[in-house]
Amino acid sequence: MNKRSILRVAAVGAAAALAFGALTACSAGGSTAPAKKVTMTFWQNSTTGPGIQFWKTTIANFEKIHKNITINMQSIQNEDLDGKLQTALNSGSAPDIFLQRGGGKMAAMVTAGQVMDLSNVISSKTKASVGSALAAEQISGKTYAVPVDVTPEGIYYSKDLFKAAGITDTPTTMSELNADITKLKATGVAPVAVGAKDAWPAAHWYYNFALRECSQTVLNNTAKTLTFTDKCWTKAGEDVAAFNKTNPFNQGFLTTSAQQGAGSSAGLVANHKAAMELMGAWDPGVIASLTPDQKPLADLGWFPFPSVEGGKGAPGAMMGGLDGYSCSAHAPKVACGEFLDYMVTTPVQEAYYRAFDSPPANIAAQSVVTEAILKPVIAAYKKAPYVSQYLDTNYGQNVGNALNSGVVNLLAGTGTTADILTGVKAAVAKG
Amino acid sequence: MSNSLGENTLVGQRSPEGLSEVGGDTRRVSPPVTARPGRRGSQWRQRFEIAVLAGPAIIVFLAFVIFPVALAAYYGFYRWQGYGTPTDFVGLNNYFLIFTDPAFHNVLAHNAIILVLSLVFQGPLAIVLALLLNQKIRGRTIIRVLIFVPYVISEVIVGTGWSLMLQTVGAVNGFLQNIGLGALRANWLSDPHIAIWSLMVIISWKYVGFAVILFLAGLQGIPQELSEAAAIDGASYWQIQRTITLPLMGPTVRIWAFLSIIGSLQLFDLVYIIWGQYVASTAGTSTMATYMVGQGRDSANYGYGNAVAVVMFVISLTIALIYQRFVLHRDTAAPISERRK
Repeated sequence: MNKRSILRVAAVGAAAALAFGALTACSAGGSTAPAKKVTMTFWQNSTTGPGIQFWKTTIANFEKIHKNITINMQSIQNEDLDGKLQTALNSGSAPDIFLQRGGGKMAAMVTAGQVMDLSNVISSKTKASVGSALAAEQISGKTYAVPVDVTPEGIYYSKDLFKAAGITDTPTTMSELNADITKLKATGVAPVAVGAKDAWPAAHWYYNFALRECSQTVLNNTAKTLTFTDKCWTKAGEDVAAFNKTNPFNQGFLTTSAQQGAGSSAGLVANHKAAMELMGAWDPGVIASLTPDQKPLADLGWFPFPSVEGGKGAPGAMMGGLDGYSCSAHAPKVACGEFLDYMVTTPVQEAYYRAFDSPPANIAAQSVVTEAILKPVIAAYKKAPYVSQYLDTNYGQNVGNALNSGVVNLLAGTGTTADILTGVKAAVAKG
Repeated sequence: MSNSLGENTLVGQRSPEGLSEVGGDTRRVSPPVTARPGRRGSQWRQRFEIAVLAGPAIIVFLAFVIFPVALAAYYGFYRWQGYGTPTDFVGLNNYFLIFTDPAFHNVLAHNAIILVLSLVFQGPLAIVLALLLNQKIRGRTIIRVLIFVPYVISEVIVGTGWSLMLQTVGAVNGFLQNIGLGALRANWLSDPHIAIWSLMVIISWKYVGFAVILFLAGLQGIPQELSEAAAIDGASYWQIQRTITLPLMGPTVRIWAFLSIIGSLQLFDLVYIIWGQYVASTAGTSTMATYMVGQGRDSANYGYGNAVAVVMFVISLTIALIYQRFVLHRDTAAPISERRK
């Protein structure tokens, strides 16, 4: 059984190694004149329902305009995508266009020379249409992906449960949030749900405290140096520890997952067992799938992460993630750029929103967001002075993983604030 | 393999002059020239047969066992994120980091605890159950099936089921509350003082059936006459079990212990399913295998992860060889020495 897992790792390694040989053999490709017939492969992670239909329609419409281009789409299950992509990139059989998670993963692909520099490949109209979101897809001023959606973070809450606890206004500062938590506890519901089994939902509390405590410069510099020496990192940890002392989280949060079933943190909110949770913009969709009738939660509301007194972060700054698409290094340049350009045109982005319920990256298309629950999210996103990518993505999987584990240990009482940063340091040494 | 050995002994028995001296091989060695082509032909046919029969297995073994192990050793010398060819050679640095990482010391301790407790919990329990089920009692078959069922259920289902029952707001705590033992409720999975014991209960429940089946098979191999004779001589039931049955069960118990040790060292799936990617180390149930996946694949430190795999391989191999040499030795040595006589 366990041998199997070792074997699997080993087999992936073996496959990768076998593939290196192929890498040198298949380095053809390169740029192609637009008039010639071009066929491109395209990997995305939507396998069911309106999502996959959106991509089929989009490709069909694109091929109608560009008669010389054929796109072969492959739908790959979200959790399988990263592993398959890695093997494909290493073996030189990479798809021409693929879903890009960004952050440290993208940086590793760039270092290995596996993704195309899109700076001069996509049109200036495309760059303008997505605005500041493009910055998250850039490394040292070069663009490596085009964003298709943004998932800014905040706290989703049940309006009914807040009302039942006698809370009239959503909290804007930490002391207000703490006071509300006390009121919620009195009504018997869990004030805050957190899926610490998956680690990242718990770590997002740390990220948001860091966003409030650290200046934008510190956040950006840390991404380059990966040294967490600024005092704000420790302060953020202390904030988490102090918040945790008020026992805000659901019982047994260490073994609660984020999204699976009614016992997950999203499930607790969906079933009115918990009053709120800190999540990205995908949460209304997840909660909707976990309500008893599988319909959107009628009383779901949203407010931004409260401000922290004395913090150096700009007020209104947000944590957020985004999904983008990249071209592999050997993809046909012109055709690939044309498809990415098409992907973020306003009508396509509007259709994207309708298919995925995620706020689109195209600013003009954001105006079609009709759902009441996403409207305040978009408004706050537009007002935000800057949006920092989720730190585990931003600082790479290695440091992100260590950060996440450290925060879970802190919440469980088996680690301290200092341990988070020690763990990060140790992780940097390993990778 | 056995053929070439056989040929060697044959050659060894020949006299230097090529003349046959003694023994049953005379006829095969001495016949005149005419017989030779036939023999050579059959020799080639034999070799061909061996190549055809063993070839695929050897190729698969080399490709999927030896080659990956060698590759893991190679990657273990690099700092490598998994994209592109590894270029950042760091020598033994990964190994240095592994042995100085407190988290790795923890997983070694967890593996050791699991190894010892598995033997201590499951061994005696399985022997008692096997002795019991070897009696002619009513419903014996159904009890045997019930004990063996957990072993057949997939680890994923066992892990998911137990983790749901042992949740803080799960069935076990609910049951305790309802029968008036609410004071005994606990965070079975997330309290670092309790979690490893919960894991041991789950492991024992899952794997004791396998031990029972092995021991029952071992009991079947012990001749009934021995205990009948002892009974006639006036030995009590427990005397018979202690002085006849248990010693004769030795080889079975030793093989079971070997399988249990290897299983404990490589434990991964149950822990990974119940505690997920992150919480196992917090709860104190992480093992070498979950450490390898967490530090390797989940952190995208593929070079480091491969080094952990090598360390794990070496530890398992060493323990297996030591066990083979000093414990299993007597089980395998006896028949061979008998053959030599």
